[in-house]
Amino acid sequence: MAGATGYGAHGDAPSFFKRWFASCNHKDIGTLYLIFGILSGLIGGYLSFMMRLELGEPGFQYFANPHTFNMYVSMHGLLMIFFLVMPSLIGGFGNWFVPLMIGAPDMAFPRMNNFSFWLLPTALFFLLLSMFVPGNPSGDGFAGSWVMYPPLSTSGHSGPAFDFVIIGLLAAGFSSIFGAINFITTILNMRAPGMTMHKMPLFAWGVLVTAFLLLLALPVLAAALFMLMTDRSIGTGFFDAAKGGDPVMFQHLFWFFGHPEVYIMILPAFGIVSHIISTFSRKPIFGYLGMAYAMVSIGVVGFVVWAHHMFTVGMDVDLKAYFLGATLVIAVPTGIKIFSWLATMWGGSIRFSLPMQWALAFIFLFVVGGVTGVYLANAGLDTAVHDTYFVVAHFHYVLSMGAVFGLFAGFTYWFGKMSGYLYNKWLAGLHFWLFFIGVNLVFFPQHFLGMQGMPRRYVDYPEAYTLWNQVSTFGAMITMLGVLVFLIWVIEAFIVKRKAGDNYWGEGANTLEWTLPSPPRYHEFNTLPRIK
Amino acid sequence: MRFSSVLKFGGLTALTASLSTLAYAEGVNGPVDGEIGFQRAVTPVMESIVDLNVWLVWLMGAICVFVLVLMVYIMFRFREKANPVPSKTSHNTTIEIIWTLVPVLILLVMAVPSIKLLYAQDVIPEADLTIKATGNTWNWEYSYPDYENVDSFVSNIVDIEIDEKRTADGEALSHQEIINIIDARPADEPRLDGRPYLLATDAPLVVPVNKTVVVQVTSNNNLHAFAVPQFGIKIDAIPGRINQTYFKVNAGEEGTYYGQCSELCGIKHAFMPIEVQVVSQVEFDRWIANGGSFDTDFSQNETGGSQTAGMK
Amino acid sequence: MSDHAVEHDYDLIDPSPWPFFSGMAVLIWGFGMVVFFAGLHPRSVENPNGMMEFLFSRGLDMWSVEGASNGGWIILLLGFIAMTYVMIGWWRDVIREADAGTHTPVVQIGLRYGMIMFIMQEIMFFVGWFWMFFEFGLFHKIRAKWNPDVTVAPESYADGYGLNAGGNAIHTINPWDLPLINTLVLLLSGTTVTWAHHALIKNDRKSASTGLLLTVLLGIFFTFLQGVEYMEEFSHRDTTGFWLDSNVYGSTFFLATGFHGLHVLIGTIFLFVIWLRVVRGGMKPDQHFGFEAAAWYWHFVDVVWLFLFTFVYVVFALH
Ligand code: HEA
Ligand code: HEA
Ligand code: CUA
Ligand SMILES: [Cu+2]
Repeated sequence: MAGATGYGAHGDAPSFFKRWFASCNHKDIGTLYLIFGILSGLIGGYLSFMMRLELGEPGFQYFANPHTFNMYVSMHGLLMIFFLVMPSLIGGFGNWFVPLMIGAPDMAFPRMNNFSFWLLPTALFFLLLSMFVPGNPSGDGFAGSWVMYPPLSTSGHSGPAFDFVIIGLLAAGFSSIFGAINFITTILNMRAPGMTMHKMPLFAWGVLVTAFLLLLALPVLAAALFMLMTDRSIGTGFFDAAKGGDPVMFQHLFWFFGHPEVYIMILPAFGIVSHIISTFSRKPIFGYLGMAYAMVSIGVVGFVVWAHHMFTVGMDVDLKAYFLGATLVIAVPTGIKIFSWLATMWGGSIRFSLPMQWALAFIFLFVVGGVTGVYLANAGLDTAVHDTYFVVAHFHYVLSMGAVFGLFAGFTYWFGKMSGYLYNKWLAGLHFWLFFIGVNLVFFPQHFLGMQGMPRRYVDYPEAYTLWNQVSTFGAMITMLGVLVFLIWVIEAFIVKRKAGDNYWGEGANTLEWTLPSPPRYHEFNTLPRIK
Repeated sequence: MRFSSVLKFGGLTALTASLSTLAYAEGVNGPVDGEIGFQRAVTPVMESIVDLNVWLVWLMGAICVFVLVLMVYIMFRFREKANPVPSKTSHNTTIEIIWTLVPVLILLVMAVPSIKLLYAQDVIPEADLTIKATGNTWNWEYSYPDYENVDSFVSNIVDIEIDEKRTADGEALSHQEIINIIDARPADEPRLDGRPYLLATDAPLVVPVNKTVVVQVTSNNNLHAFAVPQFGIKIDAIPGRINQTYFKVNAGEEGTYYGQCSELCGIKHAFMPIEVQVVSQVEFDRWIANGGSFDTDFSQNETGGSQTAGMK
Repeated sequence: MSDHAVEHDYDLIDPSPWPFFSGMAVLIWGFGMVVFFAGLHPRSVENPNGMMEFLFSRGLDMWSVEGASNGGWIILLLGFIAMTYVMIGWWRDVIREADAGTHTPVVQIGLRYGMIMFIMQEIMFFVGWFWMFFEFGLFHKIRAKWNPDVTVAPESYADGYGLNAGGNAIHTINPWDLPLINTLVLLLSGTTVTWAHHALIKNDRKSASTGLLLTVLLGIFFTFLQGVEYMEEFSHRDTTGFWLDSNVYGSTFFLATGFHGLHVLIGTIFLFVIWLRVVRGGMKPDQHFGFEAAAWYWHFVDVVWLFLFTFVYVVFALH
């Protein structure tokens, strides 16, 4: 990504191979993560597009084998979560901007940082390979959804496809664990002189909390994956009722990881959005401490609500009541964040540049997804809508519109900083509007489908669900157009090479990265900045 | 190729029609195209779900609208042109306390009816009838432990084989074409006879109306979930466990109800529906006396209409 | 800000091939794992044209060993070799850097944070296994009573699942036999490593190296005794009905103690490398973070064992 004024010009960047395959530089590694994220996003997006096309009409359109459809659903979920959102938000932006924002010359363990990255192509390779090896007698690939519940994932998938998925996820998991160790150490140990925790930018806070969630949640998933592996291959009985085990136990282990995981995907986006709102309102963040500690409490409470994904497994009713209540609690810190963003804008002098548009859309659409989450938390109602498209609508509002909008917000915000070039405003704006309209058309009608009772992971549905599925598929087509325009504007920016200044957003952008050239030099902060 | 029909927006008329009729016509069962709410409730539990749902949809809608209106107002009032000099306020303890406490209060108020509903659903009353539903790959097997003379029976979807759903040159059959094939079968094979495709089975669960029916759910292999939207029940079928739920269909609501397997269970997850035939106690007794035979004639039902129970 | 005058104490590392190589090593190893395990327990896959078939069952058949239908173990072995090579190279670089003095005080603090975080994630890994154990080993009966809606179908449980109503008493290992000795071995090794630490601080290098060596030997002894215990159980598994594939207690027992054993092994190797470094004159009285990291890790392994001993051996056997 080096422009003419980029680090290449300073003569201390290494040769191509050393630079991209042996890198110990947080910016280069961040770039690798972003490229990787875009690649996975395209594959995951392709899978979802095929799913939507299939569901555009009742009957089998494109998938003659329902197993293959289920495999697409599973791989879509896994790729989007583990290979698009996590690498881009945490690996990409985290690597690029956490050190710059806290005034550190690099990450704490630069070599381990690169190790975290290089585990991912391996992991992705295993996941993609799994799609072409036998899953079970019904067909190739693993078709047991991203939640991988046994017995479907043990006795139900006799072929090696799922073994590859397990290995891939273990590799991705360890990548994230090492990344988390790196971020925590960097943030706790390498802040510039004078930058106390309470002066640290909110994005760094978001990544810090995220890193703790990763550190504490992923090992439990690793244990669960090992159990699946031994259940499959050496005959242990963890999840096998005939041996005294219980499939529900896997769900507990999985969601103990899985619920923190959803906050792992949103907290860095919260951080990014905070900076953007403040920049384009030209106002300091309102209630900074409240914002930081709201993220901390979301992280903490996030560990004790996992079984709200399991309201229909036949849990004890008192336990359900507990998980119901605990889940509702999370709405409070999240509300603090929403209202603090609005208060940051209040009294500001607001410019509607593109990152701000993404951020504003993020706030509103995240609230829509958040309140449907609160709806789902009511165990009694969840009975009616669990495992229907209502849930699909909920989590795409917080993911495909929350996390992904946060991703695009950050990408447009920092694109010039990272590449040294400005994007074409018109093209990038078109991308925004196509995406905004597209995803809303895809996912809003899914609330209706869910209420009407259409179950998830269905390749074919009764005609009574046709209308809203058509609308949804129509929206997916618009979204795909948006993805295309996204690629076009990125490529265009690199071809046309409009130079970006050091601080191209002007006055409101006041974190440390805006004091540096665009793109920053190969090594920044050889002299540590002092924060007053 | 189905692109064209999607682009044509085939259902636009249906959309306008359905938005104007938010309430259901009496007696309509199963999903309805273009609807945006729950299916018609026929048990007290589902009625309470609908009640809480209405409450919550309004509340959630109000929160969204509140945030949206506030945001749009701020965007307008404090746009660069209107407010060129930004303020530097970054604290206001009062407002921060308010926006912490108000959500807490809202949630407390919400939790009360929610927990009430939860206990109403989950605390199972004395059963008038107990049935056992076992999930297989891929069909439901029902048994009536209270009645020795009724054998357990398997309830299969009325469908053609998956690989028959495409012609030799790979063209997909539409639902209507599949339905035509099914209904052209000889009379002693299961047919749809007007029942919805993908929901109808060859052997429905038969239960009496206005009686507490406890369903014990388990599975022989993969996970499944026994769900009937109009009854407000959904419970996972898990090997090694017997889960329970119950329903009591309101008096006068005899008819056929549909549900679908609601936990991913493999290739035919979308093809193991649940069909429940709710009949009067008299009819039910006759059915039992007949040994659960699906040749029983239900045409004497008060509600009348097509009550084909399907074939054994 | 000038480009080259570095005025901070952080350790900026030169480009290194090891991360990329380790990614590739994991690739080979993972491949081997899948092919090996898929081969150990041949599962019926009725899809003969799959890529797996094409890749392995034909091409590598010539190496196949009895019981395994393919040559996965070759790939697995290659993976292990590659990983070992990468690790040796990587750590050699780290040691060189440390000797070159790049581990300034602030970097050392960072390493400390890093090690603490690493141990934290290890703890969470064992939380997963203990959760499993408590659920089934200790609370299963209570849990079943707790939720009247969940009735356990007794006929669906294999015999020998002792705590389950209707099953036969399960075979347990007498905790006051080998396990107790093992506990003492580990506790003793905890003291020897502390001895070595104090000696190192006092620059008594002779005692430090003796203490470390003793710790390593005790670690090996522990692994040996654990191996004996496993062999014993393995040879009696038909009569006792107690092995990792006989019931969920066996599974949790062997996998939890097995993963602990793996960590003992890693810790032993770690301590052994530190011992080598001490013998060769590394590790200063005032700067020996490598030693401390190994000691912390060893104590962690020790504590996990105490939990295993208390619950998996003693409390369970009391049932
Ligand atoms: C980024 C990811 C993300 C985020 C942030 C959330 C946030 C929340 N989620 Fe979501 N969720 C998922 C991703 C996410 N979820 C996924 C992927 C699944 C499905 C997994 C699967 O099965 O495959 C899922 C499923 C899921 C379920 C299970 C549904 C089911 O399977 O039946 C539940 C149930 O409680 C739930 C609840 C919540 C709640 C209460 C929040 C809260 O954190 C939301 C809080 C936010 C707000 C409430 C809005 C802002 C607040 C205000 C404006 C203040 C005022 C508001 C009130 C007083 C209410 N989620
Ligand atoms: C982050 C997570 C994420 C994202 C972004 C999406 C995006 C989309 N999903 Fe996703 N989806 C899931 C996570 C996600 N999904 C999960 C977890 C499931 C459940 C799986 C299961 O049941 O097991 C699911 C299931 C699911 C279903 C239900 C399938 C079923 O149950 O049968 C459907 C159906 O319509 C669907 C559709 C779509 C569509 C049309 C999009 C579109 O929005 C896609 C548009 C394309 C993109 C958003 C990619 C663009 C991004 C880039 C090109 C990279 C940019 C990178 C940088 C800037 C660095 N998804
Ligand atoms: Cu049975 Cu899904
Ligand atoms: Cu959750």
